[in-house]
Amino acid sequence: MTVEAEAEAAMHADPHHIPADADYLTYERGWKSWLTTVDHKRIGVMYLISILLAFFAGGVFALILRTELLTPGRTIMEADTYNEMFTLHGAIMVFLFIIPSIPAAIGNFVLPIMLGAKDVAFPKLNLASLYIYWVGAIFTLVAITQGHIDTGWTFYTPYSTRADASAIWMTIGVFILGFSSILTGLNFIATVHSMRGPGMHWRRLPLFIWGTYATAVIQVIATPVLAITLALLAMEKIVGVGVFDPALGGDPVLFQHFFWFYSHPAVYIMILPGMAIVNEVIATFSRRKIFGYMFIAMSSVALALLGFLVWGHHMFVSGQSEYATMVFSALTFLVAIPSGVKIFNWLATLYQGSISLESPMLYSLAFIALFTIGGLTGLFLGTLSTDIHLHDTYFVVAHFHYVMVGGTVFGFLSGLHYWWPKITGRLYDERWARVAFALVFIGFNVTFLSQFVLGSRGMPRRYYSYLDQFQPLHMTSSGGAYILGVGFLVMAVMFAKSLKSGEKAGRNPWGSAGYEWQTSPRPHPHNFAEQPVFTRGPYDYHLASERELFTGTDAEWDTQVAKKAEA
Amino acid sequence: MNQSAQLPPQLSTFAPDVDWMYLFLFWLSVASFVAIVGVMVYFVFRYRRRPGVDAVPTGHGNTALEIAWTFLPLILLVFLFHEGFRVYVQESVAPQNTVDIHVRGMQWNWEFTHSNGVQEFNQAKIPVHTPVRMIMSSSDVLHSFYVPDFRIKRDVVPGMYSTLWFEATELSTPEHPVHVFCAEYCGAARGGTNGAEPNTNHSTMMADLHIIPQADYASFLREAGGPPAECAGAADDVSVCWGQHIYEQNGCRPCHGVDGATQAPGPNWKGLFGHDVALEGGASVTADEAYIRRSILEPQAQIVRGFGNVNMPPYHLRDQEIDAVIAYMRSLDQ
Repeated sequence: MTVEAEAEAAMHADPHHIPADADYLTYERGWKSWLTTVDHKRIGVMYLISILLAFFAGGVFALILRTELLTPGRTIMEADTYNEMFTLHGAIMVFLFIIPSIPAAIGNFVLPIMLGAKDVAFPKLNLASLYIYWVGAIFTLVAITQGHIDTGWTFYTPYSTRADASAIWMTIGVFILGFSSILTGLNFIATVHSMRGPGMHWRRLPLFIWGTYATAVIQVIATPVLAITLALLAMEKIVGVGVFDPALGGDPVLFQHFFWFYSHPAVYIMILPGMAIVNEVIATFSRRKIFGYMFIAMSSVALALLGFLVWGHHMFVSGQSEYATMVFSALTFLVAIPSGVKIFNWLATLYQGSISLESPMLYSLAFIALFTIGGLTGLFLGTLSTDIHLHDTYFVVAHFHYVMVGGTVFGFLSGLHYWWPKITGRLYDERWARVAFALVFIGFNVTFLSQFVLGSRGMPRRYYSYLDQFQPLHMTSSGGAYILGVGFLVMAVMFAKSLKSGEKAGRNPWGSAGYEWQTSPRPHPHNFAEQPVFTRGPYDYHLASERELFTGTDAEWDTQVAKKAEA
Repeated sequence: MNQSAQLPPQLSTFAPDVDWMYLFLFWLSVASFVAIVGVMVYFVFRYRRRPGVDAVPTGHGNTALEIAWTFLPLILLVFLFHEGFRVYVQESVAPQNTVDIHVRGMQWNWEFTHSNGVQEFNQAKIPVHTPVRMIMSSSDVLHSFYVPDFRIKRDVVPGMYSTLWFEATELSTPEHPVHVFCAEYCGAARGGTNGAEPNTNHSTMMADLHIIPQADYASFLREAGGPPAECAGAADDVSVCWGQHIYEQNGCRPCHGVDGATQAPGPNWKGLFGHDVALEGGASVTADEAYIRRSILEPQAQIVRGFGNVNMPPYHLRDQEIDAVIAYMRSLDQ
């Protein structure tokens, strides 16, 4: 036997050997293979389906809210039902959708491929985090069916400890979801440190990984504080230990400190991955290395760290000390610096690029515009004199929707459109993708620009009824919400059609220099049939070969090569 | 977009400062947004993909540029912080000689207690051009005392006192009082069906501030209270005695006789209550409790025929006081 034949025989003898042309979706079949998989890509896909279901539920609640707000007083429901609806909208969107959206769904899928790794560092822990997410989601659903959770997603005491006991189910659900988040973060940190392929040094890391890595650090450090807070809340509710309720000797403002000590960093858990996606998309569709690579990477780390120091800006009127308020206001302004650095570097990347406007790029450019509005209106809220007026009004609602939806959700949609061919192996109808984009973009702006004006005119948030003078703006906002809903419907049909009958994608439909595009259209179960060696950066278009940037299928490439050989 | 398109009326001394900052930030934001998105759109158009034209490789970046756009915005941010903080200090530190009013928030009402012990529910008299300090606490959950027209807000917390102060700059009318909103979510009654009604849930936990002349507030503090001491031992009804007292103290007598004879310059009170009276404009109305109450609070609403040229000012009496006045009025006909 020759050496080669021996090796081949050994490979066939190995029960774990996977043929080079296998792909992760079809290599194993049946629901059991999904539920027991440790493949990060399959786990990512299951996360994706789960969070999209949550997004749908949260979106339906949002449309119900906007319908109720068409008129002052009763439109379709009573005040207590309305309060439950906005609580569910907030809690589902934050804890079941936005926080896991980019890291757990898209990050899980893409991160190990980008690193040239076979999987994450702890594949079983990865699957466990998904199961924990499901358990947490079930607890939340139980709370919904039990009904009457009307505390708002912030669970402020003493209202939350005096309200109905099912608030406890909801908080236990969120408590469990936190562990899922911690495990994902832990896994990513370990993976980035220990699983980088040959040639993948820190200065070559795709910026998506820098962003996800910074996010993971926050997840691991901040989320336990949420668990502690909710545990204390449960103790107060169940055993009557006075921590937050003044009737029992507690302090309600303490709860707000605890809550925002987690939930402000959580804002960066939500926005950093969105920014991370924008980096990848802008580089690919400008055919150009991201300008100021290291500054963008470090600005993510800076945001992650600064995010821990500004929680008190949610509490300027809460009764915290005036000196604390002063310090938190000053620190809050610092957050503008790394955010600005990112935007300026993105603009500089476009300069002298070769820009094309496919749907992922449209969402990323929209991200820049909308996040700019979100950031600038943040200045109104960091400035003390104006915040006193605007705090807890619709201005705040509009501001954080511009950051969470205009930022994170647009980033997520950009990533979903961008990596869709890699996840499903299929292309989608670009024309319908653009129609959906236009509807989502217009609908979103109509919904929330009007809310800025509502807020600055003095309309407080979480209001079931309102003064007649606010009705025109409320109707405008609701109209925008319906447009937004139609946009998402169009998008859902467009993706469903792609799944069913979409054209087969090549390995690199966008002609990106990113590493994840070098694997087969639907990646091999081990991501790459052979271990890749990285000899250039992920954005080095001038160093990438023609083969690497080829946008068609492998068969088309072979024809092209054959034609050239003939000529 | 000018001040009035985006912001409520300016009715406190803080409002112009806050609004200046708001509009500064607004135009700063508009300028920044137009610059950023303008550059973006220009680049997207100018460097759109064309056949045969490759992107220029990024190279090693530009450290000077990075440092510039990292540190130059800092100057602006320091200015914003300082301006916001300057006004915040004024809002935080009340002057020495404030008029103090205690406020208690409760699901879903505001209770105001003046320094003379008089309480008002979901409305309060406030002297104009006077620093007024609200000393606030909650008897159940968190609330937040928010007056958009004054640009002030402060959470009302159970188990502690929080304070805020303001100085109103304009008198209000009974039709257009200054609204207080609750800005911290405080729930609704389970199964309630009257969510649009006043003071039934978080969204309708409102109060009306009536901004009145300093002299009126001073006399209110001095005179309003329960029935005066001399009525305690009155042989007949205490209310009647109190009503007569209010009649005298508020200066009703010069215009409104009680003997059924003189008719100027206001209607005589004797023989009035319970009778139909003809109004200016042709209608008629029964002079019942509701009519009397309205005529005290909004004198110009329904004017008795023949008195159209008399300009009686509104009298912000409390409900109990109005009841006493009515009791006195009825006693005149017995």
